[in-house]
Amino acid sequence: MTQKYYGGCDIGSTTGKAVIIGDTGIILGSSIVHREIDPEETAVLALEQALKNIPEIGSIKDLAYLIGTGYGRSEIPFANENISEISCHAMGVYFCDRSIKTIVDIGGQDVKGISINDDGTVKEFAMNDKCAAGTGRFFEAMARIFRMDIADFSDLSLNARGLIPITAQCSVFAETEVISLLAGKNPPENIAAGVQSAVAKRCFMLLKRVGIIPKVTITGGCAKNRGLIKAMEKALKERIEPLCVDPQVIGALGAAVYAKMRALK
Amino acid sequence: MKMSYLKDRAVTSGYKMLNLMAIAKMGIKHGPFDMIRDIRRYPWLLDLAKVNRLVTKLSRSRSGNYRKAVGMMLNGIVREMINQVEGIFHRQDKLVLHEDMVPPEILRAMGLSPWMPELLGILLPMIVPNVMEEYIDAAENEGIPADVCSLPKTVIGLAVKDRLPRAKAVITSNLPCDGGMSSYIYIEKQIKAPVFRLDIPHNFKDERAEIYFAGELRRMIIWLEEHTTGRMDWDMLKEICEERNRMMEYELQLWEMIAARPAPLAADAVYISHLWFYNVCSGLKSSTEIFRRLVMLAEENLKNGVAAVPDEKYRALLWNPPTMHMIDLFAVAEERYGVTCIMDSMSFNRLPFIDTSSRESMLQGIGRYIMNGPMARHTRGPMENYFDDIFYIIKRFSIDMLWMAGHIGCKNTQALNNIMREKCRAERIPVLIIDYDLADPRITPREGILSQVDHFMENVMKAERRIK
Repeated sequence: MTQKYYGGCDIGSTTGKAVIIGDTGIILGSSIVHREIDPEETAVLALEQALKNIPEIGSIKDLAYLIGTGYGRSEIPFANENISEISCHAMGVYFCDRSIKTIVDIGGQDVKGISINDDGTVKEFAMNDKCAAGTGRFFEAMARIFRMDIADFSDLSLNARGLIPITAQCSVFAETEVISLLAGKNPPENIAAGVQSAVAKRCFMLLKRVGIIPKVTITGGCAKNRGLIKAMEKALKERIEPLCVDPQVIGALGAAVYAKMRALK
Repeated sequence: MKMSYLKDRAVTSGYKMLNLMAIAKMGIKHGPFDMIRDIRRYPWLLDLAKVNRLVTKLSRSRSGNYRKAVGMMLNGIVREMINQVEGIFHRQDKLVLHEDMVPPEILRAMGLSPWMPELLGILLPMIVPNVMEEYIDAAENEGIPADVCSLPKTVIGLAVKDRLPRAKAVITSNLPCDGGMSSYIYIEKQIKAPVFRLDIPHNFKDERAEIYFAGELRRMIIWLEEHTTGRMDWDMLKEICEERNRMMEYELQLWEMIAARPAPLAADAVYISHLWFYNVCSGLKSSTEIFRRLVMLAEENLKNGVAAVPDEKYRALLWNPPTMHMIDLFAVAEERYGVTCIMDSMSFNRLPFIDTSSRESMLQGIGRYIMNGPMARHTRGPMENYFDDIFYIIKRFSIDMLWMAGHIGCKNTQALNNIMREKCRAERIPVLIIDYDLADPRITPREGILSQVDHFMENVMKAERRIK
């Protein structure tokens, strides 16, 4: 094995993600798996899947350095180190596009606003980890009410011709409100636009705390929600920069970049 | 085992023993039957008696003179608290309940026994973190909104549960906040004692305000002479004010010394000393003595090149009242990251000494420090009062970062958080805003506070954790 390989493993609340990079910094493998109850098991699954297409590596043990991140980061015993997901998201975005200065990371159970320094480290951050409103879990609940899968729900608001504001701040009350609106025969796409707008406004308030410096991007699973991207652009009056890598694996990518940096230090 | 370790253990054990002896002496003096009766009447007495838990929390990670300073300061608090409790037991005919923005010096100069109901909401969560929950719940059950500051809610809870001492009179004011004012309505209802309300002028920097407020204090004295057995002794007030000035001289010396990098003393040894000995018992010789000894300990450390926190890495400014139910926040931060709390918003002020040349000048001097009290000066506007202090302290004490104890019940300071972030960003001062509630750990428990600290230190400060 002439090349060395570095791994990043992000154990989130709903999924586990892994990214493998080589000496050149090119992404050689990545994966997204559903989270098992045991974070260690999730990490093994994610890493094994990411390693599948790299025949030079026989097992996780062959990685030169592995960094764990995300909520379950301290539960990955075979990782060399663990780093906060906030720092990893910042580094992952910096790896993709150095001109991006502000991130909103919408994960399964929390939302973070992050501003980045010129070297990819965190300048400031703000997080909401106390309330489910505006997180992946919230969108899952909304999609269930609309009897759609999450992908269809994400696109639903794109066809809206109006917007019905959702006033409830709490995800539980928002569910009740949306059910009432649907029962009242309001156009579902307009209600969906209201849902996306409500989340975008919450993210905007969070980002205000760290300062909104262009360019701005979204990471995390919810970054694939096209309706939310549109609502965010409207709320921020800024374009949301697309990333060259799946936004859901940005945390794992940042961890892999850190792994390479630490191994070479 | 190192000699210094054994010495440290001996110092803490010594102070714990002194505390226990003082408590036992109080119990014996009061008599077992009366003591049992009063413990049933005031169950918080038992929680106060657990004060050595606080000694352990704050001493555990400290050593040398820093540890000595913590033990000495807490022993000073125990002694004064016992004096206050004895006021309930033996001087009830002179007992006056007063709000935290009312000067107890005047009450003492009148021969009265002051008792500040807020004291319990401040001191008890430091000893037993969740102890005020029942009082907060009692206040909310009375219809007080959940988002009112938990400190006045503890006072309301104590009042409605009839656990405040029966006093001859009650003095309150229109400071520091609406929650504070509302709590005295409950005290008035419960205690059924006459109440006097001090009117503290809004525009406190105006000279007219000082004259007006001195007039208010005179009105309070006349009222107290009418409603209690207290009689104004102006010579006594002069002595108290002079003693307070002496304590302030020592404190200024202490601040001069902690401005050095590394600081010879820090955190609770400095800020709890101010919080207690200025607000509860200023003007007493015993309080001045605490500051004299703090200066001595700091001086010795400076001379020997000993830092309070070994390998001091970051110097922090604590803004807002400290995290009462996690009072060892900085003891933990020192150990984990080498964070040293140098100064705090509750201690710092630039007020002159009290001019004791005449009765009027004394009243104006006392009035000045009440009107300029941190929770009055910082939350009544304009916002320059708040931010000028922050950036002056940052410069004067070589501060690296600002830790804002973001008590969710304080709307006044919450409203300033975003401006604070913007201003600190412009000055390149990292800010940690800790979301928590002053007296209610159910809002953000200890683990939640620590996780906010860890996130900030790891991500923003890029700090390496010294211990896991």
